[in-house]
Amino acid sequence: MFIAPNAISVGFISMYLPAIYAGLIVGFIGSIAIAINRREIHILILTDIVGLAMLFIVAAVGTDLAEALILPGLVVELAETLAISEILLSREMHKLEKDKRRTTSLFPTPFLLDMEVMTTAPNFIALVLVVYGMFLTGFTGGAVTGGGILLYAISRKARGLPIAVFDGIGGVSGIAWCLWLIGFVLFFVMPQFWMISLLLAAFGLLLKVASKVGLIGVLMKEDLENEGGN
Amino acid sequence: MVSISLFFYFGIFLAIVGSLATAWGPGVSDSVVRLFNTEIASIGVSLVLLCYNHTLALLTLVATTVIITLILFRAIIRLEEMGADV
Repeated sequence: MFIAPNAISVGFISMYLPAIYAGLIVGFIGSIAIAINRREIHILILTDIVGLAMLFIVAAVGTDLAEALILPGLVVELAETLAISEILLSREMHKLEKDKRRTTSLFPTPFLLDMEVMTTAPNFIALVLVVYGMFLTGFTGGAVTGGGILLYAISRKARGLPIAVFDGIGGVSGIAWCLWLIGFVLFFVMPQFWMISLLLAAFGLLLKVASKVGLIGVLMKEDLENEGGN
Repeated sequence: MVSISLFFYFGIFLAIVGSLATAWGPGVSDSVVRLFNTEIASIGVSLVLLCYNHTLALLTLVATTVIITLILFRAIIRLEEMGADV
């Protein structure tokens, strides 16, 4: 039997071993499938499954620590998927460029999907996510707010509408770092103002993460420029 | 009253079945079908997180799953338009 600290409630201790085994099984299945497959986009989809196995193992801890570890894991997985899919696309474009016999356009028309639900639902969901993220603050709030911004941008993009591009989004990130650092220093220099330093750090992190996730919308700027050219 | 362990084991079952379906399920040579099958496993993980009372983790999982699905769909469709092997 393993030793569990007192912070974990009794119900979670009996759930520990099944969750660990389930995580191992899911991770094993995902890894074997990645080893067998040859096509890159399939491997990218299967990486998602291995990420879910990671969630099982971390969630089995069953305390607040687990929650604190799951959130960055999810956001990093999102960023990783985005980066690798962009790399795959650009590599495929380079391959086509070298092959002179092909006559397909280098920049194909972007994907269009104009349904009624996409004009109403995403706006509302994005609004709820942004407001809820502002309320949460901190790392989670940033992720939720960024998700709302991104959902809005992607749904506008899918309907073929232009999205607003913020060129100074890197500057927001810098301001956020400053807020975070000021909060951190205040916490040590004047501990009696712990509340304001906590809030400074939380809002700095909110701006930081939200602007990072919102940056994904800037990636679609290149699509817009191509549309203008055509 | 339904016990929590029912949801917990059902979540584990869904996650394992979903990952098997993603790896070797019917029609997975089509990448869109494979992408849809990952949703089964992610519903299973959501149930497990629900049993552990990880509210924030559950909300973040739902949000990131939506975004990852959109990103992968965009990648698949653009690769298909370029005539690549997907």
